[in-house]
Amino acid sequence: MTPPRSAWRPALAALITLALAATGTAACGGDDTSGGGKTLTMWTFKQSHVKALQKVADSFAKESGITVKVEAYGPDDAFVTKVQAAAQTKNLPDLLEVHTNGDDLAFGAPGLLTDLAKDVDDAWLAGYLPAIRQDGVVTEQYYKQSLAQDAKTHGIKLGQRFSVPLTVGTFGIVYANKQRLADAGVTGAPATWEEFIAALGKVKAKYPDNGGVSIGLKAPTTGLEWFLQPMAYGLLGADKFHALFGKDKAGTFSSPAGVQALQTYGQVQPYWHPGTQSLDIDAADLAFAQGKSTFDIGGTFTLAFLAQNGMDAGNVITFPVPVPAAGAIKNMTLAPFTLTGVSVSSTTKNRAGAIQWLKYLAKADVSAMFAKEALDVPPTDLGADPAAAVGPALGAMIKAFGSGPSAYNPGDTTYRPNSYDGPTVASALMDYTPLAKKSAEQAGAEMTKVIDSYWAKQ
Amino acid sequence: MTVASQPKRRAPGEAVWGYAFVLPAIGLFLVMGVYTIVYGFSLSFATWNGFQPHWIWVGLQNYADLLWASPRYAPRVHQAALNTFWVMLAVPVLTVVVSFPLAVLLNSVRRLRTLLRSVYFVPQVTAGIAVYFAWQYVLQPDGAVNALLGALGLGSLRQPQGFLGNPDTALATLIVITVWSAVPVSMMLYLAGLQAVDPALTEAAQIDGAGPWRVTRDIVWPLVRPITAIVVLLSLRDSLQGFQTFLIMTNGGPGNHTNVLGLETYRLAFLSQLDPTLGLSSALGWMLFVAALVLAAVNLRVMRRAT
Repeated sequence: MTPPRSAWRPALAALITLALAATGTAACGGDDTSGGGKTLTMWTFKQSHVKALQKVADSFAKESGITVKVEAYGPDDAFVTKVQAAAQTKNLPDLLEVHTNGDDLAFGAPGLLTDLAKDVDDAWLAGYLPAIRQDGVVTEQYYKQSLAQDAKTHGIKLGQRFSVPLTVGTFGIVYANKQRLADAGVTGAPATWEEFIAALGKVKAKYPDNGGVSIGLKAPTTGLEWFLQPMAYGLLGADKFHALFGKDKAGTFSSPAGVQALQTYGQVQPYWHPGTQSLDIDAADLAFAQGKSTFDIGGTFTLAFLAQNGMDAGNVITFPVPVPAAGAIKNMTLAPFTLTGVSVSSTTKNRAGAIQWLKYLAKADVSAMFAKEALDVPPTDLGADPAAAVGPALGAMIKAFGSGPSAYNPGDTTYRPNSYDGPTVASALMDYTPLAKKSAEQAGAEMTKVIDSYWAKQ
Repeated sequence: MTVASQPKRRAPGEAVWGYAFVLPAIGLFLVMGVYTIVYGFSLSFATWNGFQPHWIWVGLQNYADLLWASPRYAPRVHQAALNTFWVMLAVPVLTVVVSFPLAVLLNSVRRLRTLLRSVYFVPQVTAGIAVYFAWQYVLQPDGAVNALLGALGLGSLRQPQGFLGNPDTALATLIVITVWSAVPVSMMLYLAGLQAVDPALTEAAQIDGAGPWRVTRDIVWPLVRPITAIVVLLSLRDSLQGFQTFLIMTNGGPGNHTNVLGLETYRLAFLSQLDPTLGLSSALGWMLFVAALVLAAVNLRVMRRAT
């Protein structure tokens, strides 16, 4: 039977309906997370911050009537991918926790974040520690770096601010099991590198199976940046330390000074936790929390993870990676820098509410409440006795902070070549220790060769 | 011309219905196939980090950077290429060496054949992220493999740093695990091939006095050579492009001793700390694609010659 001529009409109608439905769905999809009105959505990559932020948000809601919904997406790489996808589909949340002077500038460059420079005035900044007030701002240094065509921050403008500090801290903190140290006859935190190595020996003798040092060397930069660098800075002093990464062969890792730093670091070789080279950062911290290792190298942020995984904070001694007794810097401190900040997306429907939330987070008492709950160091000045506000473990870390040339600042990377690739350099170091595939001289030569190639390209 | 031979006229509505049904498939192919291929290929000539509003065209620079020009990327790619070469060499050979005898054994047993087939197929059914994590635990310094070796009096074979922590054993261990997950499918392919072998041929050989080894070597093995070609091709493709085992179990470590090209492609795309390396990742992906095409062509030629 021949179909009637009008038979195509239902098909066409169905197609049009489908097309309209698809368009309608797409049009409606954009506003789900970017909450307008009285609800703000905030994304973070730190699970340990969710509860603390939500607690602060509850008190903020009572005060302002604005609700903040905190959602965690981790680990960091998954968070970045989530933001990438959300940016493409115009579904960014109102607020994002970001790595300061990293993600914030990279997200800000293509216009995903709103510029906060005009909102953050002197009165607001006065609440933060002086050393970190400019963190999140496009300074001369970051602006110059962004001018390279292939820079991830290409497009930022001098003076823009894309985040305000939420947590500060530093790398190069040693966590030790207090009870085991006492059992081995180590009564306090080692003051020098030599005392530290001696303590490692005593503990290893007492606890041969679980007396070692864990660190997440699956990410090779942890060994270089969290452990070797603070020690080498104290051993050599600022200028000679910077020269390790420089062009002049007289001062690089292959020089006598460089080899000395490597050999000093190599004294840890007998005390590594077995298999630490295969552990990621969380697994290494977990090994410490579970008692499989007695020492753990991390940063100020490690404490929160340890506590979250059942480690009794009262059984932990923390101290900065010690400096050799004959080191160039006798009383080395660690300079804090902003680890994470909060940014406001450019697509938020409630910019004023978001700014209000940021201001609220910057209040000293609110900041301390968040820090205590999250076991993380806040960016605000907590006075002469920070332990009273945030507890003894965090307080001890804050007391180790300092500034000036005698303070090692991991956030300062100006002495390295632009195309410096940490994992490659750190992998060469790993071949020396813990892998024991190369001598200190060979590893130093390899590290110098790699760094030289970066300078040659610059 | 007779009436019967006249072409049947289709009503216009019928054609519209036809197009209406075909259109979604064409649309999907255009979006998921053509668009992504063209997009990915174009990206290999640009730098972009997924956030920047515009791509920066760099011509063939990404390819040059990966192959020799960049001190940052070229050495990593060279090391990964070398590791990939070893994987591509070892995995197909070991897969054939393990799966063919297993299939012959399985084909010869009369009882419990179905049960044994299921048991040998377990790695294929369970292979995935959880299993690779389980392997990781088993291979740790205090894991089951070291414990077993100790219990068997083979303490000298124990790895104090774990099998994945020692750069001398890490790559070999990953190869063994890759083979472990590749054997089930290969074995099933061989089994299918063996069941298609005409029993008259083997019986004739047996009547002529050939033993089981001779029958397998001179009758069965040549007959299943096309299956071997498929197994080798699949293993080569997996070795060249697969990386999940390496990502989960070592992430290329310790140091950079188990990095492979597939993993490097993934790292450049998703683990580059927002550096604009999506173009590099795409370029490396296309180079792998070309390598896979060449391998497929070589394999096809070998197969033709063998059959």
